[in-house]
Amino acid sequence: MSGVSALNVAKDSLLSHQTAINVTGANIANVNTTGYTRQRPVFETTGTIDTAAGLIQLSVGIDQIERVYDQFLQREINAQIQEFGYSDARNEQLGRIEIIFNETSGEGIDDLLNKFWGAWEDLSTNPDGQAERVALASTAESLTYMFRSSSDDLVALQSDVNASIEAMVSQVNSRLSSIADLNTKISQSETGEGDTNVLRDQRTQLVKELGELINVTYFEDESSSLNIFMADGSALVEGRNTWELDVRANSGNSFYFDVVFADEPDHSINALVTRGRMAGLLEIRDVTAAGYLGDLNQLAATLVQEINAQHQLGFDVGNNIGGNFFDETKTEAGTIEVSTDILADVNKIAASETINGDGNNAVYMARLKDSLTMNGGTSTFNGYYASFIGQIGQDVASADRTAVYHTTLMDQLTAKRESISGVSVDEEMLNLIKFQTGYTAAAKLTATIEELVDTLLNLVE
Amino acid sequence: MVMRISEGMKFNTLIGNLFKVQDEYNDLMNKMASQKNINKPSDDPLGMSRVMRYKESQATVGNYTSNIESATAWINITESKLNGVNDLLVKAREIAVAQSTGTATAQTRQYAAVSVEQIMEEMQTLANSRYGDRYLFGGTIMDGAPFSGTASAATIDTAVAADNNGGFDGTVVSGGAYTGTENTTYVIKIVSDDEVLADTQYQFSADGGKTWGAVRDDLADGIPVTLGDRVEFTFTEGTAANLAEDDVFYVQATAPGYYNGNGEELAVEIGKDITFNYSIPGESIFTDMGDGEVDIFETLADLKTALEANDADGIAAQLDNLEAASEQVNKNIAKCGTRINRLEIAESNLTDLDLKLTELISTTEDVDVAELVTKFSMQETVLQATYSMASSISNITILDFLR
Repeated sequence: MSGVSALNVAKDSLLSHQTAINVTGANIANVNTTGYTRQRPVFETTGTIDTAAGLIQLSVGIDQIERVYDQFLQREINAQIQEFGYSDARNEQLGRIEIIFNETSGEGIDDLLNKFWGAWEDLSTNPDGQAERVALASTAESLTYMFRSSSDDLVALQSDVNASIEAMVSQVNSRLSSIADLNTKISQSETGEGDTNVLRDQRTQLVKELGELINVTYFEDESSSLNIFMADGSALVEGRNTWELDVRANSGNSFYFDVVFADEPDHSINALVTRGRMAGLLEIRDVTAAGYLGDLNQLAATLVQEINAQHQLGFDVGNNIGGNFFDETKTEAGTIEVSTDILADVNKIAASETINGDGNNAVYMARLKDSLTMNGGTSTFNGYYASFIGQIGQDVASADRTAVYHTTLMDQLTAKRESISGVSVDEEMLNLIKFQTGYTAAAKLTATIEELVDTLLNLVE
Repeated sequence: MVMRISEGMKFNTLIGNLFKVQDEYNDLMNKMASQKNINKPSDDPLGMSRVMRYKESQATVGNYTSNIESATAWINITESKLNGVNDLLVKAREIAVAQSTGTATAQTRQYAAVSVEQIMEEMQTLANSRYGDRYLFGGTIMDGAPFSGTASAATIDTAVAADNNGGFDGTVVSGGAYTGTENTTYVIKIVSDDEVLADTQYQFSADGGKTWGAVRDDLADGIPVTLGDRVEFTFTEGTAANLAEDDVFYVQATAPGYYNGNGEELAVEIGKDITFNYSIPGESIFTDMGDGEVDIFETLADLKTALEANDADGIAAQLDNLEAASEQVNKNIAKCGTRINRLEIAESNLTDLDLKLTELISTTEDVDVAELVTKFSMQETVLQATYSMASSISNITILDFLR
């Protein structure tokens, strides 16, 4: 046994504890960094075992700086965040749709429809009356305006969502290329995992952000590259290679964007995007909002058809047969209008059943409100609209509940991750004390050994 | 299992809870401000639908009530005019009674004739009364006074083209000798478009346009076509333009007498699918056509003639007619009374319905103020507690205790 070899032990201890303090320092510095996983120095014994009787020299070294990380929890987080992104995006857009159709404050389509029927009733009590005719034309105009306005708002929402989808595709692409970059760097740094902890943290964070946008699957291969795939196995990132996404205007869908691979622009992959924010937006644009618009159009078209049909059975003030009350070429909610003839001359409103001014046709017109004209003959105009609004309310309420559920789930999973991988200042402080003590002890050991060697040297004087 | 708590967790939990409490607080504030539980459809989708249906019903009830008010006003005026008519008839009867006795002389009868003439004029004024822009007793014919001062024979008026027909520049002439017993409006509607007369198809209506007969194509240039009751239309070919689709031509055919209106009643809706006839046509009150049995104007005219001719028997003959006339008028006055009663009942039912609907809407939509205020102050307390917790949680770390 030599004093010098004991010095080696002391040296190893000093160096190891210094490294440990550095690691603690890194943890403390990164207490607020998003996605940071705390690092932990793993001490292990090193050194030779002397087979001669007695002397076993063991030293210490840092085996690795471990990244405290639960990869199975991370998988769960990545799976859940896709659900979260999907329901959150849907909830947000549905909230905006709800505002368009908020019937609680009055002056909505329902209110105006009621005023419209009322105007016909008033006209029936005084069929030739100018005031009643002007009031009817004016109410009809307000009604058509409300239809057009609601339709325009819905279409504007679809356009906004469309633009968001395009922006989201660029975000996806930028993350894909960053991940590929990191793959290269991580694969190249083969020297122990301590060097790549930071890079791995960045890559994990990017994968999580990607998952929130679009549903992907991934696995890490032998060269430490994270390979990312779409739901059907099409690769997005493989090693250092990326396959970027792009958008293509689809002439069959009002020129709204389809999501495509940049190198296959004619093949829409909308069907592969089932979760994540992008899926939520696609669904809102193509299914939900389109559905509501379709229902509204149905209401407008039937209203135009029925009113015009009854109007043409009556006579107006000039003793002519009634023409079209609504412009018959404009049968969508976005275009519906009172006929220009009527607006120019309210005497053309056909209020009477006969040449003489009897006002019965106005009565029949008002009666249309009780007629089962919608939904295959099971619902009135007002009834149809009331259930339309009810449907929107249900959709919003249920999207809200789902979003809250997934948000809570995400919060819990994040908390769990924090519990495992997050930095606790209390713990790091105590670790600091621990490693400092170790360092001080090693320093003391060095001093003691120096004294021993001194004593030895002085012996031989 | 002991759980590690990291810095991040502490603050995330804090923020999360704070937002939840604030969200609830905000929601309650909204409800306080609007006094409604339903501020957007998703607050209560089913309730929202229901409220919309209730409001629709209320609007309908409002319409029916307003119609009832219009009808009531009309009937009240009608009744008061008819009372005036009755008074005049009573006067006429007194004259007839007096002048049919032996004490009357040719002289008194002359004076009486003048009185009867005045009664006739006043009667005509009453019979031509208006309410707003419409004649009370014309049936549905509103473009001329219902009663003329002199009797006319059966007439077929000139054919009229509707105001906005196509550019047909031929002529339409009506003709024939009307044999009908009531005033009728005949209407022709062209069904084909831009054909010469020989190929033109049309339909005609004998009730003003309510019902149409079969399609006919028997028009010919200058040849009259009979529509019914010997009413004839004669078309002549135009030079530049043919008959267009939906061109309308009509004619009023009047039976002999003083009356120019028709026998239709005006109607409004006072309930679902319930049309209520509120006007009484002059035909039923003053003439012997339709529901009427005595021609009042004819009776008065005959009385005047008899008085002028000093014809005692002639005068006495009118007494029965005058009595029947009074009965006719009284019958219609009673009709007014019955109708008013019916309207009152309908109105009171509608008022009840309206009240119930308001109640239903309120139950679904309005907040219970007491409950809401309690919840609100509870939430305020929770919010304060959360804030205070937030401020203290960051105060204590291990760093305070390490020297």
